[in-house]
Parts: sequence; structure tokens; C-alpha cells
Amino acid sequence: MRNGNRWLPVLFWTLISFLTLFPIYWLFVISVKPAVELFSTPSVILTDIYWQNYLDVLGDRTLRGYMVNSLVISTGNAVLCTLLGFMACYALSRFDLPGKESIFFWTITNRMAPPAVFLLPLFLLLTQVYRIGEFSLADTRTGMILVYCTFNLPFAIWTLRPTLDGIPKELDEAAYVDGASAWKVISEVVFPLARPGLAVTLILTWVFAWNEYLLAATLTNFNARTLTTGLSEYVTTTGTEWGIMAAISVFTLIPALIIFSLVQRHIVAGLTFGAVKG
Amino acid sequence: MNIALKIGASALALSFAAGMAAAQDDSFWKEAGAQFEGVTLRGVTEATPPSNYVKDVLAPQFEELTGIRVDIETTSWDQMYDKAIKDMEAGTGIYDMVYIEQDIVYAYLARDFLTDITGTLTEKPELKSPAFEESMLTSFAEFFRDEDDHLYGMPVEAFIKPYLYRTDLFSDPEIMAAFKEQTGRDLAPAKTHEEYTEIADFFTQWGKDHDLDLWGTTAQAHTGHAASWYEYFESVAPTFGVYNWGIDPENNYAATVENGGQMNSPEAKEALKWWLHLRDIAPPESVQSTWTEVATTFAAGRAAQGLVYGENAAWIASDENQSRVVGNVGVALPPLSEGVLEDAESGEGYLGYYDGGAFGVPVTSKNKEAALLFLQYIAQDELQADWALAGSRITNNATYDDPKVQALNEELGGYFDMLRDQGDLFGGAPAYPFHAQVREATAPIFYSILTGDIGPDEGLDQMAAKAEEELTSLGYRQ
Amino acid sequence: MHSKTLGWALLAPTLILLFFFGVVPFIYVLFVSFHQWNPFAVNPDMIFNWAENYRRVVFDAQFLASLGVTIAFVFFAVVSELIIGYALAQAFMRDFPGKAFFRTIHTLPLIMAPIIVGSIWKLMTTPSIGILPNILDDWFGYNLNIGQSALQAFTVTVIMDIWHWTPLVTLSLIAALVSLPPDPFEQAQIDGANKRQIFWHITLPMIRPAIIATVFIRLMDALRTVDEVLMLTGGGPGSATRYVGVHIFKEVFPRTNYGYGSAISVVVLYLTIVACWLLYVSLIAPRNTRKG
Repeated sequence: MRNGNRWLPVLFWTLISFLTLFPIYWLFVISVKPAVELFSTPSVILTDIYWQNYLDVLGDRTLRGYMVNSLVISTGNAVLCTLLGFMACYALSRFDLPGKESIFFWTITNRMAPPAVFLLPLFLLLTQVYRIGEFSLADTRTGMILVYCTFNLPFAIWTLRPTLDGIPKELDEAAYVDGASAWKVISEVVFPLARPGLAVTLILTWVFAWNEYLLAATLTNFNARTLTTGLSEYVTTTGTEWGIMAAISVFTLIPALIIFSLVQRHIVAGLTFGAVKG
Repeated sequence: MNIALKIGASALALSFAAGMAAAQDDSFWKEAGAQFEGVTLRGVTEATPPSNYVKDVLAPQFEELTGIRVDIETTSWDQMYDKAIKDMEAGTGIYDMVYIEQDIVYAYLARDFLTDITGTLTEKPELKSPAFEESMLTSFAEFFRDEDDHLYGMPVEAFIKPYLYRTDLFSDPEIMAAFKEQTGRDLAPAKTHEEYTEIADFFTQWGKDHDLDLWGTTAQAHTGHAASWYEYFESVAPTFGVYNWGIDPENNYAATVENGGQMNSPEAKEALKWWLHLRDIAPPESVQSTWTEVATTFAAGRAAQGLVYGENAAWIASDENQSRVVGNVGVALPPLSEGVLEDAESGEGYLGYYDGGAFGVPVTSKNKEAALLFLQYIAQDELQADWALAGSRITNNATYDDPKVQALNEELGGYFDMLRDQGDLFGGAPAYPFHAQVREATAPIFYSILTGDIGPDEGLDQMAAKAEEELTSLGYRQ
Repeated sequence: MHSKTLGWALLAPTLILLFFFGVVPFIYVLFVSFHQWNPFAVNPDMIFNWAENYRRVVFDAQFLASLGVTIAFVFFAVVSELIIGYALAQAFMRDFPGKAFFRTIHTLPLIMAPIIVGSIWKLMTTPSIGILPNILDDWFGYNLNIGQSALQAFTVTVIMDIWHWTPLVTLSLIAALVSLPPDPFEQAQIDGANKRQIFWHITLPMIRPAIIATVFIRLMDALRTVDEVLMLTGGGPGSATRYVGVHIFKEVFPRTNYGYGSAISVVVLYLTIVACWLLYVSLIAPRNTRKG
């Protein structure tokens, strides 16, 4: 019976993948057509391929700068949020702190704020308040990494809390009894067991930072501009450059895919509960 | 297209700069630049072809000559305003130059955001380039002056929104014969609204009968984007004699007919119904069309005629990669109601939209003098021709006579001639400091008219009342 | 069990960061919300006007309409994402050839910026030139026109959101399912429980915290949706997809209505917190009492 059923999921997932991939295929179609071709009765099958959009994108040095900024900011922010979230969740899960449930709930309220209005205070704070002499956080990668914590850190805390609560306390207590230090318990007992949760948190915080637009558009000018702000440059009064936007997006899929496949392996690597039983 | 243009323009400019440098007297720029050693100018603008030309060609040239570095940040349309306003409002001093579209200059002037270019150059004659005179600029610069005639922005883009039609269709014998038979008159670009509708109806039917992807007119009729609001108030209503959005600045900013305004006048209502009919016979994508899509619809050969922004006219008429109607584009004045042409000629009214933008220097800038040097640099006559080719814009009088520009004019069906000779008949956005505020307050009602949830008459009544309410709450209307 | 100092030390960086970048801006917005402030009014300064903005919010038909469509949008989008996402996560729990490959494909929509997602869906759905209206017309004779039909535009925004964000739910739930200890399931099977009983009595209670966390995230993100919808419909046709995020954006960006926009934001934030708190208390509290 098992063998017969092995191919049923494959069929199912092929179907699902078709639905998932169709808009992405269409993105590719847009990227290999001149704009004028988009304005005619469409056909699902591509006949001619027009590479000019890709050549334009490859020849643009500013975009490469944006790509580096995006990679640095999202990776930096994802690592920072996952790390701080893990620490915070360990504290919330293992220590009997007064008001900790309220603190836990409060963290998430930071993600609820409608972004448009909060741009003004963040702009003022970054340019005028959070500064030392000539150095301000505005238009720096560090500044963006910190600002993105407002929505990514609460996310990390909320996705990691169930993971940490799910790891039996008896495990670290046993380790403490054996004379391990707190650092050792966290890094050698809890951390490995939390890997699937950490991997998912890392991926998703990375995704949120990678895709963020409004904050980056307002708070960066010359030095820390990201790909999403670069994409929006093609929406102007004269015209929207669908083809170039699509070509850039196809390019951005590549680093994202690499990072994804690197981290994804850890999601399933977490099947270590055999250790718990033993 | 932007990047393609950038690369082409850079190549052009390199060869051009090499040739120019010898011919030109550089000593003023070198000396003037010397006092600003180490200064970096920062500007914010939209990523349109004319602005990209400044960023990629003019700025590096200027830096080479003066040693003053120029960083231009390009961004999207709505972000550009927001960033400049935040900077000037908070007095941060991030930007030394901001792009000012014609429709927002009055808001900036009302807030004293901008540096007086005329005044500063008079006070500090050592900053004034011998190659720059304000009289070199076309009449478009008038939009950027205050009551004392002082200039606050150096024009970088200027366009009109003309009536484009397909010369190949309008001169096709079969079509001409069919049109004559059906209507009893010769097929020619419309002079009146009735003629325009007749032609539009004819071509939409023609497309249907011959199974072609062809419709009679374009319509910038997006049901959720300000583009549709603009097409009605700035391109259609004026041709019916409803100017300045139907708001009367002389009369306590009245908008409703009861209070002396025109926003819901019979002419305004007639204009709206005329345009709504066109929307119904335009290509189906029109309900999702902003300026981008209208231009592409025309370039794809899906419309026989339409009102299209001039900044797009150039590539529609000349770029084979972007357009299927190259060489088949004719330009004419928009169709008009009786008396509108006379109004426009006497300066009492206008018959369509004149748009564009300028670079201004925020008062909060820390490098005003250096920024003024740059503005004078880009205004030089010698630099204009290639810039006009890259962005199909003209802001200096002398540019029209350049042979290269003349050649492009031929390709564009005489668009530049119209800009020169009849540009004065077109008008920019009204001189309101509350431009975006009134637009956004009334736009939701306008979208409801477009979806048919409110009738056009009733809808305009509501919009006029809403406009007055907004003006009262902002304090303009007493 | 250990010193509380260590606990606080682990929490401190989080609290400090969120204070400086979350709480301080909020105080500023709260302050502005008690003022009349539009920099392009005759008087461009902030004028203190008590709770006038809040009084207006309550009677603002446009805002209330926007809130209504937003709630509908969030409801349909999040519920569908949860159901589909859970089903897909369960489907990934079995072993089959090419599993890693399919999982990667399934997560692809996540790495697309909202502004791009909006652009793709706009070009796919534009009447006459989009692929979807053409296919629907050719195959089913169905007329899809999201520039005219409010219901269709609404539905397309919901489907776009489901397409974009279901993978997030799937991934989070995979992480939760993977971490479940096998013992209770083995025990239940020995006791002869059927699939449905296992789901309701074992799986669901055990992954409830993860589900709640995921629903919360999706709920508040859907409430804040701006870029995708702005690109796809601009909030139209009419005001059919003018969700609160879009509404606030239009109030604050083009209209520079800082005072009133701040008041709307505070109200929306307050309503979100209350809704989430009620959900949290009603779903988490029983778990805690049962534990105790």
C-alpha cells in the first residue's frame, strides 16, 4: 500500500506547484517582452524572447549596489532578530519573571502599527535624535537593520516561543544538575533542539526584511538603498517599466533561492526528539 | 527604456563632452567651483529620462569642470514628494536640490521652502555665470516665479498633453470612404467634441466589424488612481471651458455653482458625460489605465486617437522597440468647445495640460551657492539639444532651432513646433498650494462616478461640496 | 530556578530595541493625533485640538467603510491561508520523491517583493490584455473586469494574498509539526483513536500556540497591506479595495493630513490590539488553566 501511495503526493504537489509557479512564470514572460507586446491579446506560450531588459539590468552598477545593501540588511537583521528572539524566548520560557506574559503580548503590538504614519517619527529620530556628532543612523545599513527589528523581532519572539516551550524543561534542569553553565545549557542543549524553529524564523525574518519597502524608501537616500526601493524607481509619471522591474525581480530570486535552500535543510534536521526519549 | 536611454545618452555625452570642452570657455566654472572644494551636492528626483540625463551625463560633466560632486537620488513619483517635504518641513538639510513638479510649486512657495534664485544671483553677482540669462528660458519658467517675478526653480522638463491620432488610419482610403459614407464628412482630426466622439465611435465599430484590436480613443480612466481625476480636470474639463478645476480663487475658493464656482456647472457635467462615453468605447484596459497604460495602449496600436502626455509622444513616435506606430503619429490641438480657443488666446483660459518640472534649492540646504552654480550649469543653451533628444523636453528657447531637435520634430509629427508656437495655449495645474489635498479629498467620489455607483451629475455636486469642505478645513475658504 | 537577573539580561536587548524604535515613535504619533496638522493648510503648524480628530474618526463614513472591507479581506484571506497552509504542511509530513524540491517551489512566492506581486497580478488581470480574463472568457465565458466589478477586485486581492502568504503558514506549521514528540500519537493509535480524533484531541492542542502565533502574524500583516493592493487596484474600483493600510497611506502621503492620519492610525492600532488580545485570551487562557 505504501509504495502505491508514494506517487500520489507527487501528483498532488505537481498540481499545487503549477498554481504556485504560474504567476512567477508570468513574471518571466513580462521580463522577456517589450512593454508594447504586453498590450495585446496574451498567449500562454512564449514565442519570441526579448533579452534587452536583462542586458539593461546587468549593465546597471547602481542596482548591484542595491543588491548588496539588501543582502547585508536582510541577513544582518534576520540573524540579529533570530538571536535576540531566541534569547528573549528562553528568558520567557524558563524564568519566572513578573509580568512576562504581558511583556510577551506587548512585543507583538510593535508589529501592528500601520506603517505610513510611523515613518515621520522614525525619520525625525534617525536623522536628528539618534546621532553622535556627525554620525546619524539615517541612510545607513546599521540603521535599517535596527529599524527592521520593530516588525521582525516581535515575529521572531512569537514564532520561537512555542518551539522553546515545547522543549521539555527537564532537559536543561538535568544539565544544570550535571554542573553545566547557563551558556552551555543554552548553546548545547536548547539551541540544537530549537533548530527547526530557528531555521523557519531565520527564513521568514529574512523574507520580511528582503521585501520591506516603505521604511527603506523613506529612511534611505544614497548609501543604504535596497532593491525594493530600486524597483519602485521604475514607477514614474512618464511610465512604469514593467519589463525591467520583472527582470530585476527574476534576478533577485537567485540569491533568495540560495539562502532558502541553505537554511531549509535545517527545518527537517530538527527531528531529534529521539534524544528526548532516551 | 530608462536604462537603455541612460546608456545611449552616456555614450553620446562622452563624445559630445570631448568636442564641447574645447569650444567652451571653462574659466568661470573652474574659478567658481574652486571656492566649494570638497562640497557634495545632493538632489532628489524622479527616475524619468530627463532626470536620468542630469544624473548620468550633466552631473559628471559638472563635477569634472568644477570639482563639485553631485549625487542624484532617483525615486518613485509619490516617494519623491514625501521625501522632499519631510526634509524641508523638518529642516534636516539632506537635499540641496529637489525636483518640483509644476503642480506642487505653489505649495512649496506658500511654505517658503525654496531659495529665491533671481534674488540670490543679484545679491551675489560672483555666482552668476556669464552664460546664463533668465530670458533664455521658455515661457514654462513663468510657472516657477512668485508675484515679484523672481525665479524659484530651474526648469528641467516641459511637456504638453496634445491630441495624438494615427496618420496611417486617418489616410487609409478604405477607412476614409467608409467614414464619409457613414457620416457625410471627410475624416480629419476632430476640432469639436462632437467630431471627436463621431470618429471614436466609428473606429471602435470598425475594429469590431473587422475583428481588429482597435478602438476609437484612449481613456486614462483608472478607477482607483489619481490619473483619471487628472485626465478629467486637467485635460477634458478645460476644453469645455471649465478652468482651474472649477474652483474660483478670486471668489473665496468657491467650487459649487451656488457659491459661484464651476465644479458642478452644466459645462462640467457635460464634459464628464462626454468623457464617460469615450471611456465606454475605449479599449477595455482603460478602467485600469494610468498615464503609463494609456501611452502603451496607443503605442501598441490599439487606439485611433487619444490625449497622450507629450513626454510619451516622443517614444511612441520614434522608438521601434517600444512602439508599433512609429512614423504614423500625428499631433493636433485637443477638440474644443466654442469660445475656449479665444479664452486661451486671451489668457483667460487654457485648452489642455502643460506639465513639467524644475529643480529648486531648499532654504534648508547647506550648500545653496554651489547648488545655484549647478542649476545655471544645466540651463546652458549648448547642453540642451542632446538633453532634448534623450528626454523629448525643451525648456530653453534656443533649443527649438537646433538641427538635431528639428529632425526629431519631423519624426514627432511637429510636436515640438506645437510646444513652441501653441504651448502658451496650454496651462499647468492651477496655482493652488492645496493641490494634492483637494485632489485626494474629492478623488474617492470621482472613482465612484467611474464605477457607476453615483451618477455623474450627483457625483460632481458631491465633489464640489467636498472640495469646499476641505478648503474650509484647511483655512483657505472663509 | 535560576537567578532572575539572567532572565532579564536575556530580555534586555529586545526591550531596549523595541523601546527606542517602537515605543518612542508611538508616543510621537499619539502626540500628533491630538493636533490639527497639515503642512499645506493656511496655518501649517501643529494646533492642539483636544480629541477632535478622534471625534471625527468615529463619524467618518469613508474610514468606517474602509474598516469594513478590511475586516472582510483579513477574514477571508487569513482563514483560507490557515486551512490551506495546514493541509499543505500535513502533506509535507509524509515522505515522497522530490519533497525538498516541491517545498522550495512552494516557498517561492515569499521571496517576491509586494510591489512586484502587485505588478504581476495587475498585468495578469487587466481586462482584455491580461491572461486571466482571456482564459476565463475563452474557457468559461466569464467576464473578469477588476477595474469595474467591486466583488471581483476584492476577490482577486484575497486570492493574491493567499498565493503570496500561504507558504508562510505552511512553513511555520511544518516547524511546529516537526517538533511534535511522537509518543502521544503512538499511544493514541494503540488506543484505537481514528484520524479525526487524533487531529482534534492531540495534534490541534499541541500545535495551538504555533497556530495562534501564525494567525496573529498574518492577521496584523494583512491589516497593514499597502503596496500590493496599491499596485493592483489603487484601492479601487471606487473604494472597494481601499483597505485601512491604503486609506491611511492616501491620507498621510499625498494628502499630508498628519494630524488626522495619526488619529486613524492610533484607532486602528488600538482595535488591532484589542482584537488580538481577545483572541489571545480566549485561545491561550484555557491552555494555561488546564496546565495548572
